[in-house]
Amino acid sequence: MIRFIAGRLVSAVPVILLVTLISFLLMKLVPGDPAMIIAGLSATPAEVEHIRQQLGLDQPFLTQLLTWYGNLLQGDLGQSLLLGRGVTTSILERLPVTLSISFYALFLTLLAALTSGTLAALRQNTWIDQILMSVALIGVSLPNFWLGLMLIILFAVWLGWLPSGGYVPFLEDPWGWLAAATLPAVSLAMLQMGLLARITRATMLEVLRQDYIRTAKAKGMPPWVVVGKHAFKNVMIPVVTVTGIIFSLLMGGSVVIETVYSIPGVGRLMASAILRRDYPVIQGGMLFVAAMLLIVNLVVDVLYAWFDPRVRYGRDGD
Amino acid sequence: MTILKHSRRMLCGAAVMAIGTFAALPASAAQFTCPNKGGDMVFGQEAQVAGLDMHFSSAISARNVAMHIYESLMTRGEDNSPIHELAESHEVSDDGLTYTFKLRPGITFHNGKAMTSADVLASFERYQKIGIDRATLEPVESMTAPDPSTFVIKLKNKVPVFIEQLSSFRVPIVILPAEEAAKEANQIEYIGTGPYKFAEWVPDGFVKLERFDDYVPNPAFEGKTGFGGYKVACFDTVTFRIVKEPGARVAGLETGELQGVEDVPTKAAERLADNPDIKLIPVENWWIHIAIVNQSSPPTDKLGVRKAIQVGLDMEEIMEIATDGAYTLNHGLQYPGNPYFVEGGKEWYNVNDKERAKQYLEEAGYNGEPVVLLTNSDYTNMYNAALVMSEQLKDIGINAELKVVDWPTSRQERDNTDNWNLFFTGFGTGPSIGPQGAVVDLVPPANLSRAPENPELNDAWSRMQLEETFEGRKAAFNDVQTIFYENAYAIVMGDIQKVQAVRSNVEGFVPFRIPRLWNVWFEG
Amino acid sequence: MATEAAALTRDESWLARLRRNRVLRRLRQHKLFLTGFALFAIVLVMAIFAPLIAPLPPDEIQFRHRFEPPSLEFPMGTDNFGRDLLSRVVYGARLSLEIGFTVVLLTGLFGTAIGAAAGYFRKLDNPLMRVMDALMAFPAILLAVAIAAALGASAVNAVIALAAVYTPRTARIVRASVLVVREMEYVQAARACGATNWRIMRRHILPNSLAPLIVQLTFIFAYAVLAEAILSFLGVGPEPPTPTWGNIVAEGRQYIREAPWITLFPGLAIAMTVLGLNLLGDGLRDALDPRMRVQQG
Repeated sequence: MIRFIAGRLVSAVPVILLVTLISFLLMKLVPGDPAMIIAGLSATPAEVEHIRQQLGLDQPFLTQLLTWYGNLLQGDLGQSLLLGRGVTTSILERLPVTLSISFYALFLTLLAALTSGTLAALRQNTWIDQILMSVALIGVSLPNFWLGLMLIILFAVWLGWLPSGGYVPFLEDPWGWLAAATLPAVSLAMLQMGLLARITRATMLEVLRQDYIRTAKAKGMPPWVVVGKHAFKNVMIPVVTVTGIIFSLLMGGSVVIETVYSIPGVGRLMASAILRRDYPVIQGGMLFVAAMLLIVNLVVDVLYAWFDPRVRYGRDGD
Repeated sequence: MTILKHSRRMLCGAAVMAIGTFAALPASAAQFTCPNKGGDMVFGQEAQVAGLDMHFSSAISARNVAMHIYESLMTRGEDNSPIHELAESHEVSDDGLTYTFKLRPGITFHNGKAMTSADVLASFERYQKIGIDRATLEPVESMTAPDPSTFVIKLKNKVPVFIEQLSSFRVPIVILPAEEAAKEANQIEYIGTGPYKFAEWVPDGFVKLERFDDYVPNPAFEGKTGFGGYKVACFDTVTFRIVKEPGARVAGLETGELQGVEDVPTKAAERLADNPDIKLIPVENWWIHIAIVNQSSPPTDKLGVRKAIQVGLDMEEIMEIATDGAYTLNHGLQYPGNPYFVEGGKEWYNVNDKERAKQYLEEAGYNGEPVVLLTNSDYTNMYNAALVMSEQLKDIGINAELKVVDWPTSRQERDNTDNWNLFFTGFGTGPSIGPQGAVVDLVPPANLSRAPENPELNDAWSRMQLEETFEGRKAAFNDVQTIFYENAYAIVMGDIQKVQAVRSNVEGFVPFRIPRLWNVWFEG
Repeated sequence: MATEAAALTRDESWLARLRRNRVLRRLRQHKLFLTGFALFAIVLVMAIFAPLIAPLPPDEIQFRHRFEPPSLEFPMGTDNFGRDLLSRVVYGARLSLEIGFTVVLLTGLFGTAIGAAAGYFRKLDNPLMRVMDALMAFPAILLAVAIAAALGASAVNAVIALAAVYTPRTARIVRASVLVVREMEYVQAARACGATNWRIMRRHILPNSLAPLIVQLTFIFAYAVLAEAILSFLGVGPEPPTPTWGNIVAEGRQYIREAPWITLFPGLAIAMTVLGLNLLGDGLRDALDPRMRVQQG
């Protein structure tokens, strides 16, 4: 097991190196200039140049790259050009926001997907199955930003039940948090819900066909016990494996959803950094998110190997 | 109403027009007191705050917040004329070279330290080094602080508009404590002398300010005027929440999550007009919508083509669609009502004569070369104007090509390439500061229009700054504006309004370029 | 699939035809596939015959008809420029499908090349897949937005960004099936008989990787349509006034309360297209190999 984990870690090293390089190179292609944004609407070229020098954007490419790696080795992701603070700080202070909404979304996803997937499998080919799976399919197909806007119209504007945006920290006001986070979490969860509900249903169907389940049923065990005791455990394995993907989708989705709902999280930080050419934040943020996902995937792999020892051997780096 | 104790000494005295448009004061002329104190004023602002180092930012979003924290020696009053703020008075020597400022007594910074001329000197020296508009201090020969309440500036040569420039709020010379003024750009603690002090900033989220209890209002005034006057913080806290989405801002205002917002979209404003819970506050003349014409890039290097564009356009349609109705037609580079508002070149504005335009094109030998309209997707009204203009240009037979990029890219393309003929922008703060600010981008050295050397223009531009009298400077500005029109340096489209709004329990809110949350309170 | 593949070598064309027929039969009986096919066909027809269906040119500004709600004259209403939304949505279909299809083509091409190379040549496997892993370490949308923003907002750059994001995901699938087929006895046999790498690849390996590839590409088509809308919405897609669905939603967002129809219809169009493609993908997966499960994201 330890060898397996060590091997996984070692194989992550080149990926991390490549990730840092990609993060750096990407932003060198950008045609815009942060100095101009800081300078504002009617700044003269001289003013812009002045700001550019102040911020070190006039340095040669190689100098900037070396500085990037040098700082990285010291765990320093650099200074934001626009926020007046370090990139690491900027990300860390927003991370609780994004994580709290992501976990809320994950909770909704699991709740809705596991119940509806199981229900659909148990009632295969009935109208319940068809309705649930149609909803799941539609959930996978809705553009999340559009869904977000429609939910704002419906629940914030027309019904007035929930706020249209903003964020309240959980520790300050749990109910306020719940109210503010619900629409974003639902918008975020919709895609994953559909995805996971379908996977759950398929896996459940497969499991229900297994001999031991049939035996359990034949022995006269009530269906809910069969499902709860035997089938559900087996369903968790594929669910665990898609956790990495779901996490990735949540992080990607938060870029859009946090923009739509004006939530000050990591996603919005990235979206506005990209539009405002805050190079260090883009690079640092991309790197941070990627590193986080790599860790999640590593944990998933380990868990998976724990559940299913066959994986530990002979899996081909996939 | 003794707004200007020392107006006689001010060289821009003529700019001091009757003031009386601001806060209706009680007849007793008593100084302002808050009818009601307390509460958290949550103001929804559209743009991210990029930094609160005011020496180093000309962004409106930063000014929104920072004008509550910092103050300057002098600032602008309600009608945009210079007024004293941290300075009690100032004198100009007879040769016009020495400016002696007396500081108001008893001013303390938010960190509890008393303000002295040493802080003023350090702040001015910092501005000289890193201030974006440090050109203002270019003519300075020396600055000294002979005693704790006196600050003296000596100029190398006479600059009649020095006080106008010194009091500009575009990139204001705010006074920081000397130890902060020793720091690099964007590295300072946010400590000023204003009625509110900095409390918390969550980038992308909000900036929170608290009432500064030791604030000493300026006794020379009775109420607020412009960025100065007798300022009192009535709210316990003010929260500037960043809400980019216009719809979310409006919804927040409607539900009462936000007590005030800036930039209500016109369509939403129409709807909100009937809402008794909301007061709409239009800010006229928010900016001048303008397209700069590239005079070095074909085909707009030909005067005929430029004139064709100028006379072929229907500004009413452009402005209506650009703003959904929140505009006034105006040819000028100053807003109507401004002391410097002039008529020069007016006959070339909003001509809307397609036949004449076609004739100009023919005379200029135009045959279908593309005219590139460079605009951006960040400012919807610029994008909208460009889209409508391109359709109108096609109608007169111009091969108009729309190029839409984001704002920073459009700035970069404007500066570094020749692939554009019309560049869409807005002159906002510049014109509001005065005529110099309005035209500075179009005259050398900026010369955004890439015009060939024009001695007539250079002469008029220097007269704008060196003429001793207001009338002389105004005439010079009229000449500049006329030259711009006759050579089609830029296509002026009109003035855009910006609608601010507050909940109806918010009292005392008077529109200005930047929302001012002093002398504003919650009713009941 | 393994046994089928073994049989295939003997008389490929005959068996392939039979297999296709069986696939067709399965598809004809697959209700959801048929629904998806119908939905997609509607969008496809809109796209192909856009100039005939659209009542007006999509960019025509009608100063007198701004903010018209849906009516007989303007079935989907008009926007703030007075442009007919039906026309814009119909032309939007054309752009979305063009972009989606180009992304599929590029992804299929590069994904197959990289995946096959990595799966077949052991020396290339590690370096290639580590680069793919690195690209996949970023959330798809985040990377696409970053690339599109880096290159500048345009249709071509959106395609490049999306292809770059989805190529690794395709390469991984192709590689996985190549790894399986490579070890098959008949491939070993072919190699022993002196067949060239190219021939083995072309005759044996790629045809047998085709089924999962087709399914994956159908889903990628769906993602590409969705992702393109997101790019446009965030302002890094094809530059406005190009009537992509994402652009129409983004432009209408400002008027969402006063003129919700501007946002509503393009959103529905996106949902319909993506739903159609997802159903097609599901149907193809069930028909080609009921046991196959495609990793998504």
